[in-house]
Amino acid sequence: MPHRNSIKTLLIVDDSRVSRMMIRTFVLAKYPQWIIIEAASGNEALEIVDRDTPNYCTMDINMPGIIGTDAAEQILAKYPGIRVAIFSSNIQQSHQTRAAALGARFVAKPVTENSVAQALEFFESNP
Amino acid sequence: MNSLSELQLDALTEIFNIGAGRAASSLSEIVGDEVKLSVPCVQLYQSSEINADTLSLNSPRLGAVRQHFSGPFNADAMLLFTEERAMEIVHDMMASQVGIEDVAEYEQEAMCELGNIILNACLSSMADMLDLTLNSSLPVYFVGATDVVLRQIISETNQPLILVLHIDLSIEKRHLQGCLMFLLSSSSLQKLLAHIDRFISGI
Amino acid sequence: MNSIPAKNEFAFSGEIGGKIAENIWDSIKSGLILVDSEGKILLWNDWIAQHSGIPAESALNHFLGSLFPDGLAASFKNALRNVLHYKLPIILSNALHRSPLPLYPLPVAHRKQDRMQQSIIITPIVTSEKKRLCLIQVTDATLSIKRERVLKSYSERLSKAAITDALTGAYNRRFFDERFTAEFSRAQRQNIPLSLIMLDVDFFKDYNDRYGHPAGDKVLISVVKALKSQLHRPTDVVTRYGGEEFAIILPDSGSEGGRIVAEKLRVAVSGLNIPHGTSTVADHLTISIGIVSYQPDTSCNATCFLEAADAALYSAKHGGRNCVRHLVTPECGKPCQVDTPQADSPD
Repeated sequence: MPHRNSIKTLLIVDDSRVSRMMIRTFVLAKYPQWIIIEAASGNEALEIVDRDTPNYCTMDINMPGIIGTDAAEQILAKYPGIRVAIFSSNIQQSHQTRAAALGARFVAKPVTENSVAQALEFFESNP
Repeated sequence: MNSLSELQLDALTEIFNIGAGRAASSLSEIVGDEVKLSVPCVQLYQSSEINADTLSLNSPRLGAVRQHFSGPFNADAMLLFTEERAMEIVHDMMASQVGIEDVAEYEQEAMCELGNIILNACLSSMADMLDLTLNSSLPVYFVGATDVVLRQIISETNQPLILVLHIDLSIEKRHLQGCLMFLLSSSSLQKLLAHIDRFISGI
Repeated sequence: MNSIPAKNEFAFSGEIGGKIAENIWDSIKSGLILVDSEGKILLWNDWIAQHSGIPAESALNHFLGSLFPDGLAASFKNALRNVLHYKLPIILSNALHRSPLPLYPLPVAHRKQDRMQQSIIITPIVTSEKKRLCLIQVTDATLSIKRERVLKSYSERLSKAAITDALTGAYNRRFFDERFTAEFSRAQRQNIPLSLIMLDVDFFKDYNDRYGHPAGDKVLISVVKALKSQLHRPTDVVTRYGGEEFAIILPDSGSEGGRIVAEKLRVAVSGLNIPHGTSTVADHLTISIGIVSYQPDTSCNATCFLEAADAALYSAKHGGRNCVRHLVTPECGKPCQVDTPQADSPD
């Protein structure tokens, strides 16, 4: 675990406060020193990314306003270094294909220790 | 005390959105195309407040698929949609499957299955997130004039509280707005909320 | 289901209870398969054995998936897995799945023939030992499809305009005649119940005289709307039999169901509360209803049945109006009389 001790910034984008709380809890359980920022919509996420440039981002798809996959596309076009995990309960192939095309990791909701671990594994893997 | 806190509503909305996502995945396997299904909001009503306007179902006729479920709390779960639109969607789904159209008896059963997929997905998501087991009856489909259907639902189930979820379903080029309703007694609602509070405090 | 012994081997236990249960499910005219959480078959009834061509001895204790050379449809496997996991019942409709299991019409000659059309219901069964089992019920959907096709070809042959009453939008007499003949012979052939409702607007001529013909036309439109609102099955349709007389055929409805529908229709029209100053039974518009129910295994032909419906309506008219009179199974040869009318009191 080479990155275990380094401080990273994670942006959690989800319109559900409960989902954000769960992701935050599972991440902090493993990496207590990480800095967590939350956004409740894709538009808010775009602003935060410009301001804070996080290392990682978890992105819900179904949100009011700009949808998650579109927000991820804009973020990755501007900051290709950010690693994005797309969380969705909708496991239809079209969503998974789109995530893969963007270079993001698709993770099936609900938010559980296991699904968050999948996202973390992707964040910490070598590019 | 029959109002929900913001966090309780948020948790419920998330549970049902996950259910909707699962239902969309199952439906897309059937139609072989992308299906969009979302639950924009959850509201709690007294059954006396329920009418076509509160449900935003402005159509002369409604179709309804109903399942009774039991477990730590009991409720009648019901999916309501405008008959005409639902039929169009079912026709499309059927056409993509077997290339037939306009056969009444097919429709009834297909509507039952459509409702069954959506209701089961929501119930299973609830069971997963809240860590509980729910049992359910088989779905029943009925259709009729809007006010008749609504009156019948409210009088038959005799439950004072109704949790209403507005849903948007898009399959291929069709778009359908419907409603998912959970009819509960106040003690069942309290039990549901206790499970949700336990879930939230466990985060 | 509660009487099934809890032990796993109940399907072939020597107990009397088990034997009777076995006889029952082997007599059932639809398919029953019970599998455990691994998909191992615990019950395989005669119907399934016949239509799959696989005898129970070869099926029991084997895995469902390995039994069929082509495997199971993905939708069926998913459904089975979901039922076992979430314990929620699942429907696989014929419309959306057609033939998930390799079952064939009899006689099962070879596997090249077309599969049987199926409707499938999968329900969870939990034993007293907390074992999770799945009951798969399969019914042959071919018959209902054939029937719907026949009805569909009917309605196509008779174009919409030719079978619709222009004023009320109800079906017309021509449609009634064709549909009634078809439904009656189906009821006779398949020995299933059928009810026929005949109804008439009370004091309609007086209404026309008092309020004028345009108002009378409006009343008929409202009545048809009220009648339609009470009919929830696609096969139950309102037809204008003539003038202010309407007929409704209720396929597969026996005397009890028919009576309930008839009473709902009466209440719905009365509930319109259309003022009728020259009616002597109420201050608003009402209808009289005669209903006749065909019971299987009785000798009665279509003409006699129709006459009986007329007679029941006549009895309702002369028995006070705004009421339902009901006749069960007229026997042919006897004069069709309303001997024992079961009157429902007006509201």
